[in-house]
Amino acid sequence: MSSLSLIIFLPILAALFLFLKRLNITVVKVIYMLVTFTVLYLSLELYINFDPEASMQFVVLHPWISEYGINYHVGVDGVSLGIVMMNAILMPLVAIALYKQRDKKGYWINLLFVQGGVMGAALSLDLMLFYLFWEIMLLPIFFMIGLFGYGKKNFIAMKFNIYTILGSLMMLISILYIAVAYKEQFGSYSFALDELKDLRLSSGESLLVFGGFMLAFAIKIPIFPFHTWLSDTYRSAPTGIVIVMSSLMAKLGTYAIWRFLFTMFSETSHEVAPYFIGLGLFGLIYFGISAMSQTHLKRMFALSSASHLSLIVVGFFIYDIYGLIGSSYLIVSHALSSAAIFLMAGMLYERTDTYSIAMLGGIARIAPKFALFFAFFSLSIVGIPLTSGFVAEVLIILGAFHYNIYVGFIAATSILIAMMFMFRMISRVLYGELRDATAGFEDLRMHELFALVPLALLILAMGIFPNYFIQKIEPTASSYTSQKEAPSYDK
Amino acid sequence: MTNEFIALAVPGLLVLSAVFLLLFGLSSHYTKNRGYYITLGTLVVSFLISASGVSEKHSMDLLPGIFNSMLVYDTFGATFISLFLLGGFFTLAIAKSFIDSTDYFTHESFVLLLLSLFGMVVLSMANELITAFISLEIASMSVYILVGLNRDSLKASEAFFKYLLLGSFAASFYLLGMMFIYAQAKSTNLDIIAHYVLSTDIHSQLLIIAGSMLIMITIMFKIASVPFGAWVLDVYEGASLPITAYMAGVFKIAVFAFALRMFLLDYIQFEAYYDILIIGGALVTMVGGSLLAIIQNSVKKMLAASSVVHSGYLLIAFASTSEDTSGAASAIIFYLFAYFISAIGAFGVLSYISQGSAKTINYDDLNGLARTNPIIAASLTVFMLSLAGFPSTIGFIGKFYIFTSAIEAGYTLFAIFGAITAFISIYYYFKVIMHLYFKENPHMKVHYGYKISFAFIVLSAFTVLWGGVGTSLLFNLPGINALNELARFAIESLAM
Repeated sequence: MSSLSLIIFLPILAALFLFLKRLNITVVKVIYMLVTFTVLYLSLELYINFDPEASMQFVVLHPWISEYGINYHVGVDGVSLGIVMMNAILMPLVAIALYKQRDKKGYWINLLFVQGGVMGAALSLDLMLFYLFWEIMLLPIFFMIGLFGYGKKNFIAMKFNIYTILGSLMMLISILYIAVAYKEQFGSYSFALDELKDLRLSSGESLLVFGGFMLAFAIKIPIFPFHTWLSDTYRSAPTGIVIVMSSLMAKLGTYAIWRFLFTMFSETSHEVAPYFIGLGLFGLIYFGISAMSQTHLKRMFALSSASHLSLIVVGFFIYDIYGLIGSSYLIVSHALSSAAIFLMAGMLYERTDTYSIAMLGGIARIAPKFALFFAFFSLSIVGIPLTSGFVAEVLIILGAFHYNIYVGFIAATSILIAMMFMFRMISRVLYGELRDATAGFEDLRMHELFALVPLALLILAMGIFPNYFIQKIEPTASSYTSQKEAPSYDK
Repeated sequence: MTNEFIALAVPGLLVLSAVFLLLFGLSSHYTKNRGYYITLGTLVVSFLISASGVSEKHSMDLLPGIFNSMLVYDTFGATFISLFLLGGFFTLAIAKSFIDSTDYFTHESFVLLLLSLFGMVVLSMANELITAFISLEIASMSVYILVGLNRDSLKASEAFFKYLLLGSFAASFYLLGMMFIYAQAKSTNLDIIAHYVLSTDIHSQLLIIAGSMLIMITIMFKIASVPFGAWVLDVYEGASLPITAYMAGVFKIAVFAFALRMFLLDYIQFEAYYDILIIGGALVTMVGGSLLAIIQNSVKKMLAASSVVHSGYLLIAFASTSEDTSGAASAIIFYLFAYFISAIGAFGVLSYISQGSAKTINYDDLNGLARTNPIIAASLTVFMLSLAGFPSTIGFIGKFYIFTSAIEAGYTLFAIFGAITAFISIYYYFKVIMHLYFKENPHMKVHYGYKISFAFIVLSAFTVLWGGVGTSLLFNLPGINALNELARFAIESLAM
């Protein structure tokens, strides 16, 4: 089995195994660790062997449903490599941080399952395969919210599920439509990405098909009018799955825009780009301002995360080499920061039993380590210099100025808005008087440090030595922008 | 085995076994267990015989000297026969726990089951309208009685009468339609009618068009398509769980088998006339079924209503059939298999946990099952996902084929409509999953026992998953490809 297939299926098989076997919870955790560290090892190996000059690598191709031209077709390029690495790094760290608190087998099984699903979706080069993993990813999230969530969890799990499946089904119809159109033009069905990009559709058709795909992605990200599931879901979901949603699932949505829409509908993407830039900018400010007025910590982070995702979307749609690199860099860096901040929010909740900003305060006095990390990760989301977010945001804003000075200007305000709500939050939560909830606040424990320190180091490394990371993305990104002039990109 | 032998042996074995059971049931050596295992054994043997006829494409008139082209045995028939027998076998195997804990499964019920299978087997081979009618009625009559098996239950008796009256009424449309067709084509043989249809100007075939429309009404009735399917909720509710599963999963396949043969052979010429009707029927069926399914409180009724929705998907594929490609028609066969295995599994789980009681199982009765019986809950989840068309299950592949063929036939809007219906169905199928996993249960763990039922539920769940992701690359088991090929062979053999 190739390492890509192992990365995808090892977690899924392990999850199935754990489901069927009745094991002690300690054994379950040990197996979880073994599997995620194996995946991390394989991913690191992948990262090291990844040749930045070539675009698509480690391709595996097996026929699956041959009459319809559906193949098991996976491969990795500069952008998907980022998602794979994120996934591989975050999953074991999440486990380290939550190690003591979560004693339900289902928690770990679902996390493994979601890891495999995300890997599969990120690596698929066949539309049906992608759809399969894209949907499979949803199940563990549904179960996690319903089993371990807070508040009206059943309702929220169902709402999230129904909302996202609506998008997925429209995407399915779009996929089928282009496959049939391909058959009419070339004589046989195909779901392979590199074949489908030769397809020629009339502009009306391709706009509709594009819309079908975009609906699915926009809901998962979420882009502005499709965000109504967001704050409830984040609020109700347990920490493990919030991290998956904000760091992996949402990023996968933006990644899919690039991977599928930009590849297959390059012309349409260029046509509609201004609208999505507009939506993205609006979302960026809208989510930012909503975040400012939040009193619930987790919801605030959820909205801030949505605001940054809008920035990523803008970065993609400006079709500029800086924008593309910046966005894919932000995918990775924001994934790290938001995973860390949601982990810390979870720790905060576990210690104080509240997410309400008003009830917190004075933590810095009695828990300096916690305060240090909390402030650092909050600021890394904003993108202060020396953190990875800074590099990414500067690149996107540079690209935005290239595109249009007003777009650049509005994109730049995002940092300002983020500063405003983050500083306000930090001052209320960490400083000020001690409250009832925060009295006796316990500082970071050893295993929590073990989870947070690597994330912090990685964020710093990506902020201080961006070149080493960007060189893996750059060739892939430039192959897309050159497409602007000549709409044929060769692998 | 020669094809003739297979074609004769399967129905022969079923009838012989039925007659034997009828007599044996009166002897003092008869016990319910023996009756059960004899029936099961008959089904296994006849399935093994019939399965050897599906591997290759073939088609032949069965003993034309005796039957005068009334019956034809081809891959199409063979595939469907194997499906019925497999379906009957699964229904019975899963229902073991249910049958043991109730007292109304007498030896007659096994006889009726075998006879109804006999009717379906002949129906799928029938190449002539009268033969088809007789075999359809043999099957229907047996099913009518099976519905009313539980004489102590008022609901079952009501269901029986309702189904009997409406069913006989619907059957009369068939007879009238057949008469019309005979009046114009001067034959009831499908091949001859097809020849007549092809060689005559379409606009002068008023009687044939009207007649086939009447026959279509009967078919619509039998598959419970809206507006002819008003009986379905009460009947499915009244019948005991294994019988409901049998009707929803197996009997429906038989009706589709005949409809497909008749439609593909004769009426594909009239596509323009019918497609609009079928599409209209599909739309109201999907909408009506979805609405019904949403408001149900009992899981069994929800499954019954959702089976109406699935008929709607099948009708979409039906309208998408065309002369040029076998895609839509083989999509129907695949979907029938996909639906049957998922529905039988779902009903099977219900009958397994109801333990034979006549109590309706509401959503709340499923609460906490995941904790007490994780494997059963997981299997039910798999069936629900498959019915909802979630990827990695066979139900998804089935919907994939149907939507693809609809788009290919130019019905993109209807494919979108189907997708929206599937989207609605997410609600009521996931509600089951929600109750299984997220609600606390007041009960303690229940030991249901019955290894047979349990094993076959798990086997069906595995089949559902394997049909969704399976490939012959792993374990050398035939995967989706093989199933798809089977369906295509079956359709192509019709034209031979």
